[in-house]
Amino acid sequence: MEPIILVEDLHHTYNPDSSNPVQALAGIDLEIYPGEYVVIVGHNGSGKSTLARHLNALLAPTEGDVWVKQWNTRDLSHLVDIRSTVGMVFQNPDNQIVATVVEEDVAFGPENLAVPYEEIVRRVDWSLERVDMLDHRHRAPHLLSGGQKQRVCIAGILAMKPEVLVLDESTAMLDPLGRKEVLETVSRLNREEGTTVVAITHFMHEAIHADRVLVMAEGRIVLEGAPREVFRQAERLHELQLGVPQVTQLAQALHKRFPSFPNDLLTIDEFVQALRERVPAGATNPVTGLAARELPGPLHSPSDGQRLHHDRTGAKLIQAEHLVHYYLRGTPLAVKAIDDINIDVHRGEIIGIIGHTGSGKSTAIQHFNGLLRPHGGKMIVMGQDLSDPKADVKSIRRQVGLVFQQPEAQLFERYVGDDVAFGPRKLKLSREEIRERVRKAMESVGLGFEEFKDRMTFTLSGGEMRRAALAGVLALEPQVLVLDEPTAGMDPRGREQLLSHILALHDEGTTLVLISHNMEELARVCDHLYVISGGRTVMDGAPAEVFGQVDELRRLGLDVPQITAVMNALAEEHLVQVPETIFTVPQAAAALEGVLHGKL
Amino acid sequence: MENFELLRNVTIGQYIPTGSVIHRLDPRAKLLGSLFLILAISFNKSLVANIIMLVTVLIIARLSRISFSFILRGIILGLPVLVFIFVMQFIFSGRVEPPGQIYFQWGWFRITRYSMWLIGLSLMRITSFIFLTSLITMTATITELTHGLESLLSPFRRFGVPAHELALINTIALRFVPTLAEEMERIMKAQASRGADIGTRKIWRPDKAAREFLPLIVPLFIGALQRAEELVWAMEARCYVGGSHRTKFVQIKSTRKDYVVVLLALLYFLVMTFVPWPPVREIAARLGWPGL
Repeated sequence: MEPIILVEDLHHTYNPDSSNPVQALAGIDLEIYPGEYVVIVGHNGSGKSTLARHLNALLAPTEGDVWVKQWNTRDLSHLVDIRSTVGMVFQNPDNQIVATVVEEDVAFGPENLAVPYEEIVRRVDWSLERVDMLDHRHRAPHLLSGGQKQRVCIAGILAMKPEVLVLDESTAMLDPLGRKEVLETVSRLNREEGTTVVAITHFMHEAIHADRVLVMAEGRIVLEGAPREVFRQAERLHELQLGVPQVTQLAQALHKRFPSFPNDLLTIDEFVQALRERVPAGATNPVTGLAARELPGPLHSPSDGQRLHHDRTGAKLIQAEHLVHYYLRGTPLAVKAIDDINIDVHRGEIIGIIGHTGSGKSTAIQHFNGLLRPHGGKMIVMGQDLSDPKADVKSIRRQVGLVFQQPEAQLFERYVGDDVAFGPRKLKLSREEIRERVRKAMESVGLGFEEFKDRMTFTLSGGEMRRAALAGVLALEPQVLVLDEPTAGMDPRGREQLLSHILALHDEGTTLVLISHNMEELARVCDHLYVISGGRTVMDGAPAEVFGQVDELRRLGLDVPQITAVMNALAEEHLVQVPETIFTVPQAAAALEGVLHGKL
Repeated sequence: MENFELLRNVTIGQYIPTGSVIHRLDPRAKLLGSLFLILAISFNKSLVANIIMLVTVLIIARLSRISFSFILRGIILGLPVLVFIFVMQFIFSGRVEPPGQIYFQWGWFRITRYSMWLIGLSLMRITSFIFLTSLITMTATITELTHGLESLLSPFRRFGVPAHELALINTIALRFVPTLAEEMERIMKAQASRGADIGTRKIWRPDKAAREFLPLIVPLFIGALQRAEELVWAMEARCYVGGSHRTKFVQIKSTRKDYVVVLLALLYFLVMTFVPWPPVREIAARLGWPGL
């Protein structure tokens, strides 16, 4: 079979003639065949997005060639042919939609191709149906969820009838639900319409269902093969700091102990199957005498043993009782954003808050530092009642630091040091004290003071920018730090790095409130979790308690850590009985070792 | 802290679907009709005619079934302008010749019949304008208006008017208004969380006031530029190369009713402009009212 895209020894250098050329691609050879589902994984800066932009001639090669069907991408006379054959969906759906009505946006591509009116109408209907957005055709894009917007973007590409769909980190900015919507849509297109898919991502687990996985690093393809073959190379992936799914990690942990246990399991079903084959059916294997708290626990601090039965004895710093808040109150468009929020934060805790986008969790935490005032219920922060108009909001904001999503968007000074100093300067501190605070804040997020203070803000990498923004809040020396999705949109390496800095702050005495979609992360670090749904706190408890209620969480459309799901599936099959909720790989490995012992 | 909600006070540009007769008009008819009304108001210097026209505008507002109080919020937004014009005219138009009857004089400053007439006229005109423009955006979606404008301008394409490009620029700008408003709100909150106090500026130090805005403006611009760059990639990937060889998905169709509306508006303009409206004084005299 002829490849539909052929890449031969592709090199790409940005700013080749400047004093500072950057080589992004250093010799890529690649063939993509019709109907394939190829996933390209790699860190930020590995060159994967640059490669994507070569596939439909948005960039021209510095060296080497890219062929789409019979057309060379250097040949400008076939630009329209190439771009209508290879459609591309980008990362941020907000920045791809050109029209103010969904169906008009979908029509934009065919209009550009001068498709006749009747045919455009047919194509718009057809592509909106493919992504399941027909019901929303007359709506304004800004009223849609992230996943819906991204599906509109996909429809906009489909309407051009492309043969290849390239997704350039199209799930990176979405919440788990949106990510699922998009991935399901894409794999359906691949299956049912035979559309060739090239998906670029930094999440390994999105590669499970691909026909072929390519791993990129430093502008080269370093690993290639079927997902199972690639995932089996645990050591190599670990070197590249690309996280594999937890279920694969668990299989690999067991494989080390029992070499006959497979090390290339990708899904929960496969894992259950593998265990069933090795443990005689019917014989139940209670994990006795292995109360979870004696298992190797969550990973970060010595107090982990108690984490499962954590007593909430510290002083109450934040207390929300039956909190209510409306948006656009007093207009015809008023909406109740939160209805009944009950959250306590005690000194020294790490609190996790779980909920969908739009559940009201962001609104709730904006009360924690007095950005919003309650419209009903009680909100007491650092001993001050926020319903009292005389409450000293400024002092509350100093004591409770709130870090928004993508905080790098708040940087504005030319130099990093000045930006971090913004808060302390507002406090009218002395020069020396400002300097000292800036130094401390920057160093606590791993940005060396001397090295970074005079760096231009815009020359920082994405991860560094985020840490600089975090330092800007830390420079106020807050007692409580509230972080909204601190690791969203980062690659696994950046995530781990940032998380370890945040946890180090806790060890030094800062109380933490984390909002996250990443259940594994929350299970690993939190003392107490709150679940928000429809503007209400619907569950709370220690991670073990909350994640123990798998059915209830699923009913709310929320996930549990993958390990919890594995153990649950095993228990349902009566393969094991687990006395307590298990949610980390080492815990599960230890528990299952007991089960497998003597069987293999 | 409710002042973080940016969209609350802006009624201009908000579509209010009531399904009235006005709403159902072809956007081109709406645009042309209001163009004639605006021309009529701009050219007419008669107080009587302006009163009639203000009433006309109010009747149209009634027909659209949008409450006056809601439209008046738009005037609140324009209030500083209205006050400024009023004050300027009050101070300076007393010197315009011929002054007519002089009601009050204090040195250089004076209040004359002419200045009163001028002030009354301009306040009435501006009120009519605000009502009319608010009505356009409240009864037609921005998208309808853009398509209407593109269609009205397209005959001028041969004279070099880039009708499609203008419409596309307009659409994209409007498409990003809610996105950027949200972003602005988030930046305001983020900077407030870092200790910025937004809203406590000293008016007599504009240099300082401007500096206070930097933490908001700089991130907003950087963000907007990044969005613009990504949008360019996305549009190129969708084969956009400009207006000449495109087809159109949106087709607007006019009915007889729309032609009637445009004709009526044209007629209205002609009548209002060319009828010699008597001054208020004369009408008052004829009705037997004393004074004035």
